[in-house]
Amino acid sequence: MPLKLGHISQQMYGMVQRIADLTPEQEQFIALAQALLRSVDPDALRQKLDAQLSQRRRIPWLVATPRGSLCDSASAPALPSDYRVIGTDASSMPPDRHSSVRYYVLNVGYAAIRYGSLPHATLDSRSQLCFRDEELYLFPERRDVPVEGTLLGARMEVEAVRILREVVPPVAMPTLALRDGPLILWTLQNESTAVQERLLDDLLETLSFLRQARVPVGGYISFSDSHDVTNSLRVWLCQGQLNACDHCDDPQRELCLALAKIHDRELFGFLADGERSELFSSSSQVLQAYGDQQVDFMYLNVGGEIARIEVPRWVGSDAALLGLLHAGTLDQCWRSSGFPPYPPALQEAHEQAAITPTERGLVEEMLARALARRGQRILRSAKDDSKRRRGV
Amino acid sequence: MSRIGEIVETMSTGFVAESFELNQPPALGSLILVQSGSIHLYAVVTYGRTAGLDPSRHAVRQGTDMVSDAAIYREHPELEHTLRTEFGAALVGLAVDRVIRQHLPAQPPPLHYSVQTAPADEVRRFTDQLQYLRLLLQTRGEVPSLQVLAANLREVFQQRGEDHDWLDRAAREVATLLKGDHEALLTVLYAIDPGEQTGGARP
Repeated sequence: MPLKLGHISQQMYGMVQRIADLTPEQEQFIALAQALLRSVDPDALRQKLDAQLSQRRRIPWLVATPRGSLCDSASAPALPSDYRVIGTDASSMPPDRHSSVRYYVLNVGYAAIRYGSLPHATLDSRSQLCFRDEELYLFPERRDVPVEGTLLGARMEVEAVRILREVVPPVAMPTLALRDGPLILWTLQNESTAVQERLLDDLLETLSFLRQARVPVGGYISFSDSHDVTNSLRVWLCQGQLNACDHCDDPQRELCLALAKIHDRELFGFLADGERSELFSSSSQVLQAYGDQQVDFMYLNVGGEIARIEVPRWVGSDAALLGLLHAGTLDQCWRSSGFPPYPPALQEAHEQAAITPTERGLVEEMLARALARRGQRILRSAKDDSKRRRGV
Repeated sequence: MSRIGEIVETMSTGFVAESFELNQPPALGSLILVQSGSIHLYAVVTYGRTAGLDPSRHAVRQGTDMVSDAAIYREHPELEHTLRTEFGAALVGLAVDRVIRQHLPAQPPPLHYSVQTAPADEVRRFTDQLQYLRLLLQTRGEVPSLQVLAANLREVFQQRGEDHDWLDRAAREVATLLKGDHEALLTVLYAIDPGEQTGGARP
């Protein structure tokens, strides 16, 4: 067995010890961070962040600008007795670099569930074999920028939103949409404007469609890794240069460095069950490509964890839509059979979207057979061939 | 006749079908039909089961203090799509041109064909003969064959309009088949006793 589990086991002891030792200290710093969140004047913080951002000074971290207060919370309004939730998710079979045939598969799953007087559910998926130049390249006319890696991931995320245009019914029933993952496609932030625009086009059109249909949409992120709000507190504390921490001798330095280890989900641990935070706008560079479809975020205690919910600004600025999204998301979590809870509509959308290893093998085999009927065969790299054979 | 399920697994001795109604497989021991071209295949339900559609997803508790039983399905409409009810059946005979034969068919019923309930007149016609009980006794599956046999006798007794003469005849046939196994015979006879109110076969 090449993985030396004995060595791993010894190192694991040290890891567990370290986590146990840090826990009380971490809790103390979280309490300090929450006290800081309550004490900071949001207007002053906005001014400081705006000044930093407008002067194009580099803030080395993603930061969050409060759209209202920093530490206020809100309970969910009552939910209509009849409502519908649509959850979406997507997965893919990426192109195989070791194969002579280039293609990828997108599978978008959705669950449309109606609650109330006429309960009903539709669970389904849309599967797509992508092999044409316009699907394989972002700029097919010059066969440039292949859709793979990060870009395939982004296309998948967009498809998981775009499907809402097909499945949101034109019936006047309160409806909310949830997608499993972010609406702020931050993985595109280092791509060129042309790439961002090409990929985001469908996403932004879908957000416009949902706005017209008055269907609030949320990007549901469980166990979020974000530090945006804690980073803003670090900016607030910093009296010197933001990227010169090594030379900092400010008395607040220890708290500042401790904030770097605190996730926003821990900072907002003070939210009571069912409460949401105020809205924040993100400094993610990719949002510059979103035009008038800006996306903000909030934190929500779903009863067992603090989830991050990303929402278009037109949702955040409309009390009725925001209330429906807030109450509907909570209702979903209360219906969850797991703990921490997770919206059933997203769980079922995931089940519809997932491509199993068996299915991946079947697609490959179906393609090989279809080609063989035309007297063609798939060539594979020597490396891939050796991995498949694993001869000794 | 009404369609109640679709065959999802088939073999020479029987088949497994997915029920159209969640939690509503046909009654254990009841006679069901598959029409394959001009041939009617008869089978007896040997088990029913409801579980997760995906074998890797186990059903978990959904009820709360406020929501239980049927209300669980109203509050979780997706369960209709994530659970499935299946039932198994043992083949016990066939009819070609309305001539009934009580032996295994030459071919198993085709996969994905419909399973139908057997109407009362078909049940009566098929069960006028009792050789099929020998096939039932040889089934091996989820439910012990003696219990499947007893369930079939109870079901047919009811469908034939509480036909006591038929039940007595069937009990004697079972006694002949199980003459070497007194305990097994008692198991079946106790299980088919319709009770004192209606009289009938008594051990």
